[in-house]
Amino acid sequence: MEKFAYIGKDMKRIDTTCKATGEAVFSADLTLPRMLVGKVLRSPHAHARIVAINPAKAEKLYGVKAVVTAKDTCGDKWGVFKYTQDQQFLPTEKVRYVGEEVAAVAAVDEDSALEALSLIEVTYEVLPAVYTIEDALAPGAPQLHDVYPNNINVHIVIDVGDVEKGFTDSYLVREDTFTAPEDSYFQGEPYAVTAQFDHAGNLEIWMPNAGPHLKAKPLSNVLKIPLNKVRVRKITIGGSFGGRSEISPADVICAFLAKKAQRPVKIVYSREENTVCTRQAHSMITKIKTGVDKEGRVVARDITCHMDGGAYSSTGPIATSVPFLCMEQAYRMENVRYNGYRVLTNKPIRGMFRTHGRGFACGVDIQLDRIGETMGIDPLTMRLRNARQTGDTTPTKSYVASCGLTETIEKTGKMSRWAEKFGKLPPYHGIGIGCNSVQTGFPMGIRGGSQAFIKLNEDGGVTVITGIVDNGQGNDHMIVQIAAEELGLTPDDVQLITADTEVTPSDPGSYSMCETFVGGNAVRLAAQDVKKKLFKIAATELGVGEEELSARNRKIFVTNNPQQTMSIAKAVRIALSRNESISGEGSYWPNVDGKREWVKNPFGQLSETFSFGTVICEVKVDPETGQVEVLTVTASQDVGYALNPKVIEGQFEGGVAMGGQGGMLTEYLQWHEGRVLTPTQLGYLVPLAIDMPKINTIIVETIDPNGPYGAKEAGMSVAMSAAQAYCGAISNAVGVYFHEYPITPDKILKAIEEKKKRAG
Amino acid sequence: MNEMKKTVITLNVNNETYELVAYPNRTLLEVLRDDLHLTGTKESCGEGVCGSCTVLVDGTPVRSCLTLAVAVQGKEITTIEGLRVGEKLHPVQEAFVNHHAIQCGFCSPGMILTSYALLKEDPRPTEAAIRRALSGNICRCTGYAKIVEAVKSLAEEGK
Repeated sequence: MEKFAYIGKDMKRIDTTCKATGEAVFSADLTLPRMLVGKVLRSPHAHARIVAINPAKAEKLYGVKAVVTAKDTCGDKWGVFKYTQDQQFLPTEKVRYVGEEVAAVAAVDEDSALEALSLIEVTYEVLPAVYTIEDALAPGAPQLHDVYPNNINVHIVIDVGDVEKGFTDSYLVREDTFTAPEDSYFQGEPYAVTAQFDHAGNLEIWMPNAGPHLKAKPLSNVLKIPLNKVRVRKITIGGSFGGRSEISPADVICAFLAKKAQRPVKIVYSREENTVCTRQAHSMITKIKTGVDKEGRVVARDITCHMDGGAYSSTGPIATSVPFLCMEQAYRMENVRYNGYRVLTNKPIRGMFRTHGRGFACGVDIQLDRIGETMGIDPLTMRLRNARQTGDTTPTKSYVASCGLTETIEKTGKMSRWAEKFGKLPPYHGIGIGCNSVQTGFPMGIRGGSQAFIKLNEDGGVTVITGIVDNGQGNDHMIVQIAAEELGLTPDDVQLITADTEVTPSDPGSYSMCETFVGGNAVRLAAQDVKKKLFKIAATELGVGEEELSARNRKIFVTNNPQQTMSIAKAVRIALSRNESISGEGSYWPNVDGKREWVKNPFGQLSETFSFGTVICEVKVDPETGQVEVLTVTASQDVGYALNPKVIEGQFEGGVAMGGQGGMLTEYLQWHEGRVLTPTQLGYLVPLAIDMPKINTIIVETIDPNGPYGAKEAGMSVAMSAAQAYCGAISNAVGVYFHEYPITPDKILKAIEEKKKRAG
Repeated sequence: MNEMKKTVITLNVNNETYELVAYPNRTLLEVLRDDLHLTGTKESCGEGVCGSCTVLVDGTPVRSCLTLAVAVQGKEITTIEGLRVGEKLHPVQEAFVNHHAIQCGFCSPGMILTSYALLKEDPRPTEAAIRRALSGNICRCTGYAKIVEAVKSLAEEGK
């Protein structure tokens, strides 16, 4: 008999049939009786004092049922950390970016709501604004918040070993600066939220979210109602990519409108609102100085990165740290200094993004290529010589329990025929490599662990109750696979209640790549709890020891004598007749250092385990047009163990599209001062089917000692490596290293021209 | 307030006739979603770029966000809800499910209808033709690889 019935198998996802038929309900699809249309009035100014808001005319308009201003939210503020609570749900004194929420209305139809917005009189005193990192840091620059002098929102300092001595001891040292502008999530589904209150003052609310509990707490705070009255409901989510973990002012506004009107209210964002008024990704300026020994091994590294955080903190301390932490996980570096600054500007708020830090990771990798070139070492060998290994401890003191980075480099190199191609390709034809590593969660205070319950029915079927969220990546199916495997049931026997704050217990949410590792382990433990109870009953009935039993195909059987069986349904019925509880409970708390803190103490176990990835890309560049044709991409990741290989392939392919094809060739926001000029897919170029190259995928399994079945996470290290591979390949093709991203045709033509001039 | 006069609109959607009173500036997308509650058709960009709102009008994929409902009276409109027969998925839907061509699922209705129309017109398209045909539909999750695989599997079968 095979070890597993479902784990490790290519399985159809349980959630995709209803998505193929149009039955899946997303937040904007909801309709409730007597539901009103909510619309938000937004600031036309990048920086202005609010002198007065007069909603009287709007309130009197026929069809308007509620108007909400900062008076209703009492100036309450939100922040991910206690020390970053700087964003009011509705501002009382100042607006700090074009698009910031100022007031909102609920009316019987969209036309009335829009007309009402135009009737709200807001008097502003326009203030000078800053739109770039340099301007924000300049002496005498306008200040966004009193609590952040010089507009420095976060400063992360990490200094390990003796960096200066490291540089002195180095055989070769080089310093470079890399830049990248803001990129954007462009989730398929624009943000939408629907809210209603019942007669007892319970709030029901639906929105795309990466963690319902993360939404419930701030709603409870601002509405001043207990958590058991805040019911964030499960809904199909049209993508997140790191962008939907925090509370949105729209959630709070919608709840207040519903409360005031005593009717359900739905707010649906336009594409422009989704781009401007949810989250964007940080722009970055990264200065990297690296010293290596004679073999190309890094002896010392000093990195200073400035990130444009926009107007508020959001996940600032995390966002400022993560690009560095990923790279210190991926590559060995004993003497290392990092100064990360998150700078505030009068631009929309920046958050964590799936490919957060293309201007950082590319810097580290491209600089390795440049150093290697000087020393006559090819990029792949440079990666192998610096690759993190199992059993290492990172500079910030995380033990690495399993690491397959070397294997991903070697296998990706072999499949892409690196040795035959690097340095041997025709002119304007190039190959490049990128590597990275991501966490599987990190210290999150009381939200760090996940719990799951399992309820059984008399026919042997079960319902799994867990806070795990599926943003589209397949987490719901992962829960079913684990429960069915452990209990010896079929996937059809497993029903889910997930991501509903009224019913499901605490869970970190679907970000930081922790759901498989943390949530998956909790579900597995809950299923093992049930199994233990069922086996106890079966052992007595079958006259054997509990340890002699196994379960599969809805049956409990004696492992060494599979003919001796009892159906799971029968075991459940026996339990019911004896009034024995057989419900299951499981909880998992990852082994992270609770004392680790992003700013004050960035040392200790960050995450229980890490994934590692490598991408190799091959391109042809047209020297006449600067257009890049991507020939093939080979993507590989140490996923720990592949629970559902096809799902993982899909994550790799999507990661290459977003991180490489979009992230390095076409995706960036364009601006006029604080105003986004390209807020829709018309100007912001998300890759199309015709753009995408052939993608080869290689799954590497290291069987993590503590992951569920050895699993870690399913594709983020690929997403975070793809940009570097694209950049390396284009640089290799053109013979010029690119330091400004994305690499658009104008930059390529300019580089070719300058190269020709230099050659004379 | 809308100063236009409402008009009676008769639409044939998924082989059923609907009669409704609406403003003549209502888009087909608004009527399908808000009046007929056929919410399988999605709005993502609202300006005809992304393809999420794709429906078939007399078998041809159109952007329902750029199409006025009054303009498609007398034509056969097919939405994602009209593709399957009873409990049985249409082969295109089945291929998308079997080949992992669906992740978050927001673009899937439009993507499936575009693929359906392509295969009707050309039952054995090349990979290049598939990619070209699908390039009016944006997917943010999959990188398109599995979507192309799904359509290719049908092209090979000539379905």
